[in-house]
Amino acid sequence: MDNSLRLGVFLCDCGNTMSKTIDFSAIKAKLERLDDIEYVAISHDLCLIKAQEAMQKDIRDRGINRVVVAACSPELHEHTFMNVLQRAGVNPHLLSMANIREQCFWTHPHKEKAAEKAMVQIVLAINRARLLEPVEKAEIPVNQDVLIVGGGIVGTEAAIELSHLNLKTTLIEKEAALGGKLNLFASLYPLQITPEEVLASKLKQVTESPNIDVLTSAELIDVRGQAGNFVARIKRGDEEFVRNFGAVILATGYDAQFASQLYGFETSTSIVTLSQLEEMLKSPAEIKKIPRNVGFITDVSDEHSRISTLSALRNALGVKEKFGSEVCILCKNLKVDGAGLEKLYHDCRNRGVIFLKFDKPPKISEEDGEIHIQVEDVLMPGEQMALSCDLLVVEEMVIPPSDSETLRSILDIGLDPQGFYQDNNIHLYPTFSNREGIFFAGNCHADLDLIRALTEASNVALSAYRLLAQGRVTIEAENVMIDPSKCRFCLTCIRACPHNAIREVQVDHEKRVAQIVDLACQGCGICTAVCPAKAIRFKDWSDDQILAELELVGAYL
Amino acid sequence: MNTEGAFLPDIVAFCCAHSAYPAADSAGYLRIPYPENIRVIRVPCAGRVDVLHILKAFEKGADGILVLGCHEEACRHISGNIRAKSRVQKANTLLEESGIDGERVEMLTLAQNQGPKFAQIASEMNERIKGLGPSPVKPRV
Repeated sequence: MDNSLRLGVFLCDCGNTMSKTIDFSAIKAKLERLDDIEYVAISHDLCLIKAQEAMQKDIRDRGINRVVVAACSPELHEHTFMNVLQRAGVNPHLLSMANIREQCFWTHPHKEKAAEKAMVQIVLAINRARLLEPVEKAEIPVNQDVLIVGGGIVGTEAAIELSHLNLKTTLIEKEAALGGKLNLFASLYPLQITPEEVLASKLKQVTESPNIDVLTSAELIDVRGQAGNFVARIKRGDEEFVRNFGAVILATGYDAQFASQLYGFETSTSIVTLSQLEEMLKSPAEIKKIPRNVGFITDVSDEHSRISTLSALRNALGVKEKFGSEVCILCKNLKVDGAGLEKLYHDCRNRGVIFLKFDKPPKISEEDGEIHIQVEDVLMPGEQMALSCDLLVVEEMVIPPSDSETLRSILDIGLDPQGFYQDNNIHLYPTFSNREGIFFAGNCHADLDLIRALTEASNVALSAYRLLAQGRVTIEAENVMIDPSKCRFCLTCIRACPHNAIREVQVDHEKRVAQIVDLACQGCGICTAVCPAKAIRFKDWSDDQILAELELVGAYL
Repeated sequence: MNTEGAFLPDIVAFCCAHSAYPAADSAGYLRIPYPENIRVIRVPCAGRVDVLHILKAFEKGADGILVLGCHEEACRHISGNIRAKSRVQKANTLLEESGIDGERVEMLTLAQNQGPKFAQIASEMNERIKGLGPSPVKPRV
């Protein structure tokens, strides 16, 4: 077979916009003189289907086996052109792009210098193209069952969504009953539905679904394996069993804790936390004396929490409704950035709840069961206001659940500085963990109101579905590969991999080596850079390819 | 090459494909100019940049090197930016030992939409390297 390089260079002048300042035919003539160049084409609109079809035909007819595209940023159209290569029967990884639009013509006003830089970039892209290697696709089977840890409303919702998508789930909950925090809530304002009604309907769906297996009073002890093939050990009472899963969803929620050091006082009969107030509102008959004046204090700390604000507003309305008391909310800043929250705030105001905004924390003193508050409203600087109430409700800090540290070490995932689970990237992948096949939903990783948390439950169910629905996953095989003959099994890569995608394998009874798990690998190349033996090869970003782009330094000036 | 007599440094910027590279694109979208003598090299993560790449760049004639990755705690690959930072420090030490000013290499962080910031970083680096003069190991042509 003929293995010689046959390079095709496709220049795009972006709808004639770039050809006004640069002579594309001159570039074409220069490029045609280079080695191994089979074909140079000038197009005006490579991003359009018609031009791509022509490009596909050129590649096929001329037997081109490396493609260079000099056009816009690879961030925009790398995938488009990879698909063209695929359709033309060339491995899509044999594409090299020169960014002559965003990083040349659009940013460098000096036309000649921009043209020169573009020429250098095209030549470098050609040199890089010579070093490219094909990466083959492969299909691997995945287990289609999903493990959900945490049987609160979010975990339950995710299980229901997955059951509608025909995926089997095992829902494990450490408490004796499902429902989590929702069991403690007195109301769900601004929703016109009670927590009991929500839970009853969800639990009905769970019990009726043949796809959901609920394990209460159960905990996760150990998880091994990788995405598509996790092996989990679950403990329930004295029995311990092993199950296989394709994906794991963590929905372990949050804990609430009163930070007395922030306030300088402890709770008492007249100072209660928001959770204690919820209990009182749930069973108002048990309260000896209905409070006449109720004060709320929120966001004393700078760590502002959406859950606490929402809870204060919700319960202020609850107090109005159940006790009929006068209510005053002392706050630094109310965050009402969610569906229905602005309305909730207005409902509070319409029902006569008074809001006072402070800058410095109010002074609180307690005398014979009466609470005296001294506060300076930001609208009336210099004026100290004196208020008194017979019940003061203080907010709690939202903290990670007690078992997050244990689960972190079992699953080998990251925690953020506050101790919540660390998203892969909050902007790009809000429900993804650093490991493929492990997802987060709800307040275990972000500060969310109920509606947002339920949206996440659906989101995470779809993420798991996307991974497992077909029962097999197409992967790029051995894009990153460890040469077993060079690997000394020093564990450097295993420790460095942020996605836990490297495992050890036994080559024979003496030698163990590290091996990349293709499905779990996310292609960052950190292992390639850290390997002291240079045993790891990253086909898409090899050292040679990166160094090739350092050639011709100084060429364009 | 400097044809006009004044020294124009060659600067190589290793740019993370998830943050700094789109930031450089964004400078283009906004038509914010930065010096032409900045060579942008796209890498999958700042953590892919090895000390070897930095040293080789000097060998090939670079006068200054930027490693640009994601902001801390916002790295697409969790710890890639932190690793890049420590490698740049290591490269600094090695360069100082061999008589090259460690200030010629710097690791900075960017977000995708920070085109103006990219242009600013590029221009500042250009000025700084102009001040330092050509790299002592720059091949003579």
